[in-house]
Amino acid sequence: MLYMAILRSPYAHARIRRIDTSAALAAPGVKLVLTGEDLAKMNLAWMPTLNGDQQMVLAVDKVLFQYQEVAAVVAETRAQAEDALQLIEVDYEPLPVVVDPFKALEPDAPILREDREKKSNHIWHWESGDREETENVFRDAPVVVKQDVRFQRVHPSPLEPCGCVADYNTATGRLTFYVTSQAPHVHRTVIAMLSGIPEHQIRVISPDIGGGFGNKVGVYPGYVVAVAASLKLGVPVKWIETRTENIASTSFARDFHMTCEIAAREDGKVLGLRVKTIADHGAFDAAANPTKFPAGLFNIVTGSYDFKAAFVEVDAVYTNKAPGGVAYRCSFRVTEAAYLIERTMDVLAQRLKIDPAELRFRNFIRKDQFPYKSPTGWVYDSGDYEKTLKLALERIGYDELRKEQAEKRARGEFMGIGISTFTEIVGGGPKNTFDILGIKMFDSAEIRVHPTGKVIARLGVRHQGQGHETTFAQIIAEELGLSADDVLIEEGDTDTAPYGLGTYASRSTPTAGAAAALCARRIREKARKIAAHLLEVGEDDVVWDGTAFSAKGLPGKSVTMKDVAFAAYTDVPDGVEPGLEATYYYDPPNLTFPHGAYIAVVDIDKGTGAVKVRRFLAVDDCGNVINPMIVEGQVHGGLTEGFAIAFMQDIPYDSNGNCLAPNWMDYLVPTALDTPHWETDRTVTPSPHHPIGAKGVGESPNVGSPAAFVNAVVDALSPLGVEHIDMPLYPWKIWKILREHGINE
Amino acid sequence: MLKYGGEYTIKLPREEVWKFITDPNKVVPCIPDLIESSIEGDNRFQAIVKVGVGPVRGKFKLDCELSPIEQGTAMAMPIKGGGMGSGVEMNAQVKLSDTDDGTLLKWECEGAISGPIASLGGRLIDNQAKKIIQQVFENLEKAFASV
Repeated sequence: MLYMAILRSPYAHARIRRIDTSAALAAPGVKLVLTGEDLAKMNLAWMPTLNGDQQMVLAVDKVLFQYQEVAAVVAETRAQAEDALQLIEVDYEPLPVVVDPFKALEPDAPILREDREKKSNHIWHWESGDREETENVFRDAPVVVKQDVRFQRVHPSPLEPCGCVADYNTATGRLTFYVTSQAPHVHRTVIAMLSGIPEHQIRVISPDIGGGFGNKVGVYPGYVVAVAASLKLGVPVKWIETRTENIASTSFARDFHMTCEIAAREDGKVLGLRVKTIADHGAFDAAANPTKFPAGLFNIVTGSYDFKAAFVEVDAVYTNKAPGGVAYRCSFRVTEAAYLIERTMDVLAQRLKIDPAELRFRNFIRKDQFPYKSPTGWVYDSGDYEKTLKLALERIGYDELRKEQAEKRARGEFMGIGISTFTEIVGGGPKNTFDILGIKMFDSAEIRVHPTGKVIARLGVRHQGQGHETTFAQIIAEELGLSADDVLIEEGDTDTAPYGLGTYASRSTPTAGAAAALCARRIREKARKIAAHLLEVGEDDVVWDGTAFSAKGLPGKSVTMKDVAFAAYTDVPDGVEPGLEATYYYDPPNLTFPHGAYIAVVDIDKGTGAVKVRRFLAVDDCGNVINPMIVEGQVHGGLTEGFAIAFMQDIPYDSNGNCLAPNWMDYLVPTALDTPHWETDRTVTPSPHHPIGAKGVGESPNVGSPAAFVNAVVDALSPLGVEHIDMPLYPWKIWKILREHGINE
Repeated sequence: MLKYGGEYTIKLPREEVWKFITDPNKVVPCIPDLIESSIEGDNRFQAIVKVGVGPVRGKFKLDCELSPIEQGTAMAMPIKGGGMGSGVEMNAQVKLSDTDDGTLLKWECEGAISGPIASLGGRLIDNQAKKIIQQVFENLEKAFASV
């Protein structure tokens, strides 16, 4: 095996005048040096992004962001490859850098993308909702609040960076591609389209992955170059990112500059919502979104509230920053939307002097309004927001906490309570509206029941620690009347698993989970035929009680799924195909809409500005729960990431486009010591259209919690007149606010 | 953009200071942590220096030019180069004026750095730059003393 390392641009924007690779080629152990020009000869200089744009694989002519891929070295060892990188001479001519998306839109801004037909840094404009109706509502509204809210650039930062081994066998013409992929089948299709290797000659194996969170959905230049190198050399080529490469060059998340206005009555009843957003997409529009939704599902921004009218517009902009824009533990910009509405509802509450919990009760979509059609076009499947918030308020002891807060305020202390009652939107499908690179977002399951009643089930999704082996084994075992121990779950090998769209956007249980249940039911239908034969009755007289088949009116005579499985291979009735297996491709009729009520209680240290999260309660409603421990684990993980975003994470750039946090010294990941204790609870409102009523939960805590944290801190500082603070809530930021308001302790 | 500046009084007549600072043979030895240098013509030189900012350590190759703006009083000194995947561009300006007991040297320097040095060592650059500048002047002082 050979090892690859990538040379990256020190400049955020520069013309490449010359690349001299001769010294690198002569270095010890070096087998190959590739530049954009070499790739152009293989027709691999550019690749399509997830969002219909194109991205340079290795930069030709100019670089557009710092750490952009410029050249690659393949050598006998990783160290030799890294050393040889230093010998590549690149003559750069620095160009003016654009880091501020607002400045990028100004008429005299330098045009970054010379390869695009449109000579502007503006990528697209997208709107949703009814502009005219919303204007009317705003014109007549007695109260209007307006708030600018920034959701900073953050990074999924999985524990394990991206990496791959490309192994092209010149004898068989077959490429085996090991990769840490959240969507192995999609990666196979993309590699086939890019490389020209027929898809059936490509096997993508995505083994156990140390975290994804959206970071491993995209196709990165490193993968393409590794494939190109293996094609050229006919040996396996391994490329593993460094931490810096992962943070500085693979997909970031968020980076939305939002302005939110709510029109309301004096009593707090909301009427209209108006949102304007600038989305900083970096150098290439590589955001992960279904192509019909350029800004993803951001228009879920009306949240849990019954707005008469809403109008949302988003403009995407090119800047000299890393491209990407993945849905970091969220479904395509839902996090930004949930944060915005939950933050602005608190601004409204503060302005009208209404308790934020009370304001929410006055505005919730009521239980009897489901299915509910939102003013931006989504049909919410089910929910009971009132019940969830009530449970949360009771469990946390809301009234007592408010009393305590009043006492503390009287003593000049800063304690805050933050509420977030968010609605998530998950389960990517249905196929008519959801796709990745045009590939429709259904999902699949294939179940084989062996003669002894043991089951292998293969799914088109690919977990990164979500516990699919447990969840899907339970679903299938439940449907077939077997034990979960009898079911082996396999994912991540495109040679064996049915085509699927992968795991992200909390879609595994809503789509593949449904496919697994329906596939198992298909098997049960066939099993019924065999059971009828074994029971010597007509098929219509066979009853399934969840564990066994029996003959109607003949108690005591029954056959289990294991009996049927054995018969399927040994004693098949005439006219029935032997064997017991099925495949199911599930296209969901709608998305699912989990929701939650989160409450954070914080104390602020006046001397240092440090925020202590004293309590945090998450009450989630993700429909029917398959495995409570898995759900609990997902909630803990998501809350920890939400906490990190609220308090410590940001990827800033200086005016030269230098990425200032490309490592875990500057981009902080919370340790066990930083992380608060999480309290959780649950309500259950099943999804009416999902075969087992489940909704998906993995992202909810990351979507819902940042607003709870920020609302709590702003609530604590509200006696000073503070209405909003942008994340991350660094202690120095709070400290400055305290000092500006004359708190000097 | 990094910006530094300062002034310094030298107890030598302006002409002598001018002669000194426009002569690569005199200036080059004042560069701190110099590994290698080559003087190309009357006013250009290349220098390889040792750099260490936080976790990033290695060599920088710099191209410098001493280019008079106004004979005897003002000189520009563009510096360009890089190493270890990082780039540096600086524009230094030196102005000389007469004082009672010698020459006042005023200098300004504007620079941009890019690459890992900027992103990994970002927080440490300011102190590092000040240290280097201080060293340059200490070296200059010694050199002037021997003029």
